[in-house]
Amino acid sequence: MSGLMLIAILLVIMIITSVLALFLKDLLAAIILFSVFSYFAVLIYLALGSPDVAFTEAVIGVISTTYFITTLRKLKRGSS
Amino acid sequence: MKKVYGSIILDTAFRYLIPFILLYGVYVLLHGEYSPGGGFQAGAILGIAFVLDGLVQGKKAILRITGETAVIIAGIGTFLYCFVGILSMLSGGNFLEYSLLPIPMNDVEKHVWGILGIETGVCICVMFTIIAIFYALVGKEE
Repeated sequence: MSGLMLIAILLVIMIITSVLALFLKDLLAAIILFSVFSYFAVLIYLALGSPDVAFTEAVIGVISTTYFITTLRKLKRGSS
Repeated sequence: MKKVYGSIILDTAFRYLIPFILLYGVYVLLHGEYSPGGGFQAGAILGIAFVLDGLVQGKKAILRITGETAVIIAGIGTFLYCFVGILSMLSGGNFLEYSLLPIPMNDVEKHVWGILGIETGVCICVMFTIIAIFYALVGKEE
């Protein structure tokens, strides 16, 4: 039961972060929120008992954040 | 890049971080049989080390492997995977049938070395694909 509660709370946090990331005007903040989203996805995979998938998700979260920030530098928009 | 990200803090942290990241990547690759991990994750971690180098040191990075060179090395990784598979086909088995690999060992050792071979191939391919995508994003802005 407590396991289900934990997963439910994590899912709600994921929904909140993703909706916030969609509606923020500051692109850097949106990228960091996306990375937070990925982190909570890692926690959910761990709670569901699949450390392999969680490991992959953690690594890919870091890489995609790096890519987004590199692209943001090329856009020369920064924090609008 | 016009402005390099590096400052003295980033530069010092980079010097201490990179050896451990590389060592952890190799550990994940070689220990993937017993713990979470494997070729893909190890390649991603090793790729992160190279990408960090490109981010912190910019144009004068030590581990700078750009564009076409990275794509060629990624192709070599894919070739390694296919080579192990086709080697077992040449000695009369199916694709990736490790027990028929033409190396003088017993069955278990053949499985271990075959799996290590294809995992290394996957690792090299993923690592250099990540590096190629990163340098394609950085572009020719220098």
